[in-house]
Amino acid sequence: MHDPLHDPMELDDDELPPQFRKRRRSGGVGGGGGRTWLWVTAAAALFGAIFSGVSTADFISHLDRQVHSIHCSFIPGAGAQIGESGCRTVMMSPYSSLFRDSMWGGLPISLLAFAVFSYLVYRAVDLALSDDVTKRHTMFLVAATILPVFMSLIYGYISSSIIGTICKLCAGIYICSAVLLLGAIMAHRAAPDGGHWPMGGTYARWFGEGVAYVAVLTVLYIALSPVSEKSLEGCGTLVSTEDKSNILIPLGKGGGAEAIAVLDPLCPACKGFDNRLEASGLGKELDLDAVLFPLDSDCNWMVKESLHPGACFVSQAMLCDKDAAPKILAWAFENQEELLAAAKDDPNAVKKRLKDTFPSVASCVGTARAKNKVNKSLRWAVKNALPVLTPQLFVNGKRVCDEDTDLGLEFTVSKMLEGRR
Amino acid sequence: MSPGMRTAGLAVLGIVIPSTMVVVWMGRAEREMKAASDATADVALASASEDDYCSPRLKTVLRRVAGACGLIDGAGRGCKPGDAKNVAALSGDDFNTLFVPLAHRASIVQFDAEQVDLDERGKSLVESAWSEQRGASFFFVVARASPDGNAAFNQKLSQQRAESVLNHLDQRFQDPDLRGSVGLLWLGEEYAQLDEKFCEWRRSREEDCTTKDINRSAFVAWIDCQI
Repeated sequence: MHDPLHDPMELDDDELPPQFRKRRRSGGVGGGGGRTWLWVTAAAALFGAIFSGVSTADFISHLDRQVHSIHCSFIPGAGAQIGESGCRTVMMSPYSSLFRDSMWGGLPISLLAFAVFSYLVYRAVDLALSDDVTKRHTMFLVAATILPVFMSLIYGYISSSIIGTICKLCAGIYICSAVLLLGAIMAHRAAPDGGHWPMGGTYARWFGEGVAYVAVLTVLYIALSPVSEKSLEGCGTLVSTEDKSNILIPLGKGGGAEAIAVLDPLCPACKGFDNRLEASGLGKELDLDAVLFPLDSDCNWMVKESLHPGACFVSQAMLCDKDAAPKILAWAFENQEELLAAAKDDPNAVKKRLKDTFPSVASCVGTARAKNKVNKSLRWAVKNALPVLTPQLFVNGKRVCDEDTDLGLEFTVSKMLEGRR
Repeated sequence: MSPGMRTAGLAVLGIVIPSTMVVVWMGRAEREMKAASDATADVALASASEDDYCSPRLKTVLRRVAGACGLIDGAGRGCKPGDAKNVAALSGDDFNTLFVPLAHRASIVQFDAEQVDLDERGKSLVESAWSEQRGASFFFVVARASPDGNAAFNQKLSQQRAESVLNHLDQRFQDPDLRGSVGLLWLGEEYAQLDEKFCEWRRSREEDCTTKDINRSAFVAWIDCQI
């Protein structure tokens, strides 16, 4: 006699009631189109796992606090590149991980996706190999595949609307999620109606398995996450914060800890840093001033060639009108690529753009006085023997290590601020 | 294999594979973090410039002059011709030769005979020279007078010319570091007179110049040497 509390899919032949033996012999859902769609679902989940696995591997590789290439291609594992890419931008954004202020880099979303897709591979393959699959089983698969689709919609929106770039690996995950749901729906349509045994226990167990997959990977990640004491100690201190020449530019008074950012207005890394700082909400806890350090040989003798031509003029403009400086900086970040390209052809093009856009600095940019101000800003860096690089962040005079200014920014700054709270 | 065993096997395989990958990736990240050298150790530190022309001899002279002229250790300001001659311990020609490599950094601000006020072009040239500091640490103003008139008068004239340059910079830039960066030397007519070759240097007047004209001047230059 069939135990009505037990799902027949999990019973051996000799335990099955006669009607299920007959269906199993004829192949059940697994026979024909239903099985094919279950394999399609399994394949989509497998590709999703590969895409999210590659993304997770890229993220984890950065936990050593170094700069690495990032895979960015629709072909999983291909397209590794060291420079800027949509995938790097997305990875460095605060949306790529959770709990960033509690652990260095946070818990990557891709790891959770990796766990979910791995679980769905297992679940879909198990169903595809089963002979007694009914709509009551495939219903769970449909419900389970809604999760990656839902998350894809949220992250697709964040990526395109907030971050402003699409990561190819992420797009691969979105596509896999869509195919996954489609395969599950088609398998569900092809499956025969189920019996009347209760599925509550089976659903609960399957859901529990999915949760266990996520929990195991999460616990492993947290337990094995490398910890660097250097991140908490900082990488040096300021010799002197004295500003006799009045070159510090206030960027935001959050009523919090004193912080100084060393920036080049035309440096892409500074733009990324600024975005991360803003998105992290840390700005509210900092009284942030900027010291301008243009990596442009036009005014900066410490660089042999202009890494960011035109940056001296933008710096002059910011120092000419400190009230307008935040706006000028935002404008420079927003038009950075265009300004750099223009300055490569004609170094004075940036000066002209500045004068046209910000009339308040028109009579000042290019003058001896403005040049002198920028020089004073550079000499502030000399006085503090700062590394010749941007961006740099000092919180209460303590320098945030360079490797902590991207993925580890929230964690490091939060820890530095902890003593103050 | 029973369905239950197959399911269990798949479930274990499904979690063991990604878990193993995560363990391997995390282990590698930890090893590489420990092995990585301090990234900033390879990055140059911001520093004042030290140009190729900063020969040991020039630096010795600069150090002596800077010390005697109040740039180092807060000693008294300015060097009289006798002081300059003594601290430089060089003949006038040798003293001038030391500054030849600074041709691209130096400017010569000319004055009218017996005058100490900067004209507009002189002011503009002084401002331009000052704004081209870049990584230099010291700004030298070496004022002279032509041999017309008596030596005492010319010494006073050259001192006022040097001070005229300093005062203009002070008014124009209100730079708190100015007093600690500018070294004044007034040489009158007695020491290190410029020859006509210096008429070819960047100067405030375009007209032809003679030896007398070029010595009614203040030679201004940033020195890219760490002394």
